[in-house]
Amino acid sequence: MIWVLFAGLAALTVIIMLDPLRRSEAVAADRIASAVTVHVDQLREIDKDAERGLISTEEAKAAKVEIERRLIALERTKSTTGHFETGGRGALWLSALMVPLIAGALYIQLGSPRIPGVPFADRKEERVEEAQIAELTGRLLERLQGDPEGGQTEGWMLLGQTYMRMGEYADAASAMENVIGRDDATSAILSQYAQALVATENGIVSPKARTAIRRARELDPTNPAATFYEAIALDQAGGSEQAHDLLVARLEQAAGPEPWMELFVAQANRIGEAIGREPVSVATFISATDAPPKPTREDLAAASEMSVEDRAAFIRSMVDGLANRLAEDPDDLDGWLSLGNAYRVLGETDKARQAFETAEALAKNLALDDPRKRSIREALSNLGG
Amino acid sequence: MIPETGQFALALALAAALVQSILPMLGAARGNLLWMRSARSSSIAQLVLIGISFVALMRSFVVSDFTVLNVVENSNSLKPMLFKVAGTWGSHEGSLLLWVLILAIFGAGVALFGSNIPDALKARTLSVQAWISTGFLSFLLLTSNPFARVFPPPLDGNDLNPLLQDLGLAMHPPLLYFGYVGFSIVFSFAVAALIEGRVDAAWARWVRPWTLVAWMSLTAGIALGSWWAYYELGWGGWWFWDPVENVSFMPWLLGTALLHSAIVTEKRGAFKSWTILLAILTFSLSLLGTFIVRSGLLTSVHAFAVDPERGLYILGLLAITIGGSLTLYAWRAPAMEGGGLFTPISREAGLLVNNLLLATATATVLFGTLYPLVLEAVTGDKISVGPPFFNATFIPIMLPLVVMMGIGPFLSWKRTDLKGVFQRLRFLAVLMGLAGLATWYVLRGGPVLAYLSVAIAIWLLLATLREWTVRIRLLDVPMSESIRRARNLPRASHGMTMAHVGLAIAMFGFVGSSAWKSEEIVFVQPGSIIEIAGFDVRFDGVEQVRGPNYVADRGTLTVSREGEFVTTLYPERRSYPVAQSRTTESAIRSTLAGDLYASLAEPASETASDQGAWTLRILYEPLVFFIWMGSIMMIFGGGLSLSDRRLRVGAPRRAIKSKIAATPAE
Repeated sequence: MIWVLFAGLAALTVIIMLDPLRRSEAVAADRIASAVTVHVDQLREIDKDAERGLISTEEAKAAKVEIERRLIALERTKSTTGHFETGGRGALWLSALMVPLIAGALYIQLGSPRIPGVPFADRKEERVEEAQIAELTGRLLERLQGDPEGGQTEGWMLLGQTYMRMGEYADAASAMENVIGRDDATSAILSQYAQALVATENGIVSPKARTAIRRARELDPTNPAATFYEAIALDQAGGSEQAHDLLVARLEQAAGPEPWMELFVAQANRIGEAIGREPVSVATFISATDAPPKPTREDLAAASEMSVEDRAAFIRSMVDGLANRLAEDPDDLDGWLSLGNAYRVLGETDKARQAFETAEALAKNLALDDPRKRSIREALSNLGG
Repeated sequence: MIPETGQFALALALAAALVQSILPMLGAARGNLLWMRSARSSSIAQLVLIGISFVALMRSFVVSDFTVLNVVENSNSLKPMLFKVAGTWGSHEGSLLLWVLILAIFGAGVALFGSNIPDALKARTLSVQAWISTGFLSFLLLTSNPFARVFPPPLDGNDLNPLLQDLGLAMHPPLLYFGYVGFSIVFSFAVAALIEGRVDAAWARWVRPWTLVAWMSLTAGIALGSWWAYYELGWGGWWFWDPVENVSFMPWLLGTALLHSAIVTEKRGAFKSWTILLAILTFSLSLLGTFIVRSGLLTSVHAFAVDPERGLYILGLLAITIGGSLTLYAWRAPAMEGGGLFTPISREAGLLVNNLLLATATATVLFGTLYPLVLEAVTGDKISVGPPFFNATFIPIMLPLVVMMGIGPFLSWKRTDLKGVFQRLRFLAVLMGLAGLATWYVLRGGPVLAYLSVAIAIWLLLATLREWTVRIRLLDVPMSESIRRARNLPRASHGMTMAHVGLAIAMFGFVGSSAWKSEEIVFVQPGSIIEIAGFDVRFDGVEQVRGPNYVADRGTLTVSREGEFVTTLYPERRSYPVAQSRTTESAIRSTLAGDLYASLAEPASETASDQGAWTLRILYEPLVFFIWMGSIMMIFGGGLSLSDRRLRVGAPRRAIKSKIAATPAE
């Protein structure tokens, strides 16, 4: 439908651009002839001014002589102006047809033809849903606050995560604050709390957030989120080099393609640029992948000896293998997810989007709170698709 | 689908502009009529396409389509409809889209209504216009895409800066841009003439209506902006010599000079090269203004450095446009033949002085505007150049100009008997002196410059009216004859009288409201009475009211004079929760004599004991209304000139017909 509209618009443009072909009159408004008309009009004006007594007769006479002199000069140049030709139809056609081509090429770069327009009035359901979430959140908060035991840890974390999703970072932080002192506070809880604090402060790592990060790392030194925020904290405190080292070290520990790696690489490169380090890429850190079919020990050994390009090519073949397998067995949701992640890591956003879209269709029947649903949604919105 | 259609239309427009940049120019060089005429159709195509794109963006705002990033960032579903529409041009991207739309309107205007312009000149002019178009369309698409999308869409938008949610401001950018960008077509005419190598009386006449349209819009835009600042910012001032104001004022000053020098080129064939230069510089200043406002340079030089992509793009465009056109000028202008000769005492000389003073005034404003920016870039020091600088430099240049304005119209072309002119004006000079003294006698206070300015404004008013009465020979001949003469006078002549009188009237407002204003900033509690300029203003307290997308504290002020009730004023302080910001809505009682202006600043204290106490700012500004009245007269004067029949003469076919049929009837 949209392409039909575009075609119509393009056709309209071409038709307008070809309009000169329709007007066959070859009489040109010549520069000299037009100027003569203006001068003749000026002469008439002077007569009228003199008639009205605005200028004296002598003044009028002098002015007229001057204009007449200019008229004569004009007449003299007349013979030198050339005739007009009306050929060149081919060039006109060509340039008119170029217009949709150029525009199409531009549009492919800039446009997002698959995103529909969504007027506010058509989004009642979504608003109702959002209102329900807000209401549920309110009720959850009430229940947790009313609980003499202090409320379940999972409950507070669910509340905090919901606030995060709604963009209410301060609320999220204060919800999570209720449980970070508990014995069952995991590293993940602490790093989520730190994340909420950092978001509240618009990206600045406050001392409070720093403490939470440190505790999260004590509980689980490999926690990627905590590592990430530790690097940010180091960078903000002036330790850009340590921050860079920390990010790279964690990347090196990665067992296979992980969704967070891209973020790490981007951050490392951002810091690295300021301190003059070589840029890194995700492919450098993927030494193995669990994408089926599983590579053999020999494959891996071979891979470790490969150059960066070769290794990337190897990863490619693994990913292609996975894609082929999924083509035969398209109901494997987890398979699609890892394929999407792999493509995303490789920077092939179109394919990644397709994979996630397939996954989205498969995930339709899952429970509402299934984490995979959320990661699909997030991945799709990050990919802008 | 609709936002994407807008996007595609914009891409098509860029492609059409590219074709129009080349084909008509080639056609004019080779004498190919078909190619030259393609300028007409591609100009129209550009207008249609950019129009579609603009409507698509506007529709996205009207229906609050939050899949469009620009709508998310600048609108909100709760915003009143008028400001949803105005939101279309409220953002950087939208205002640039408006910019190119106006560019296209002027291009298509020349294509459609320029039937009296010779084909080759028209083709070249439209081609140059398309160069500008290409530059700005590519800027728009590549760095500031108004149709960038978000999916999934956020639930609601961030709202437009509430300061900008105002009727005056909703209309201000379109008018200002109309003026700004209107000078583009004059620029294109100038560059086309340089390429063609011919500037003559006919050229000046073809350019004049377009200059007038641009000048009128710019006047209206500046006046509206000033009016907006007056009642929305809550400071009671109407002009702050703020860089944003200055960058719109500079093209106005040079555009005014251009308007006058084009007359000399048209009537006497002189000032050719100067007129061309002015046309180039006026538009260059418009571009500079766009650059300064749009690059973020004003917020801070550093803000510019952080995200330099947009700023550098416009800077590049600026360098190419100004540098290219001035190089062309340097190369081609010396070949232009000089025009008619004139003596130092003549209308030409008068207009020359007018032009020099206007150009100097422009340079002064330019210096005052750019100096702080350059200084900040070089040394990092932030300084602001404000009213003291401009009062000390700009006004002393403008006053002699206004004196000249009174004399100029009495001068005749080529040479004038100065003695005769002085004889006519002697009486007025005395009158002006007396009026100045009388003002001083009545008011006593205030700076000397103010009395001088009043006297000069009176001079301009009287001299202009006198010139008009001389023309229609009022009282010298029977009244019916005078009326007949007035009717026979060319409209451009009435236009000049109107515009000059308008300036005189506006001057009364400028001086009155700055030199003799009274101002009180006081803490008030319910029941407090403030005395100002003979009024007693009683503060009756503040209550909370709700608007569509704001809540407001609304004060009630009862104004009386010598015990008699005059009016009630309701100044407001609005708070917009979505955009998290506040605005003041001043309450103004406007009369011819002066405005009583009240704005609610802030609660004196949040503590309970001081409940109900507020800081209130009350001003009495004499004659402010004259500023708006004078501006309207200037615009109207421009309109009268524009309607002059002579500006449409020159179409060869039509002229031949009228020669046969209509000569005696005229």
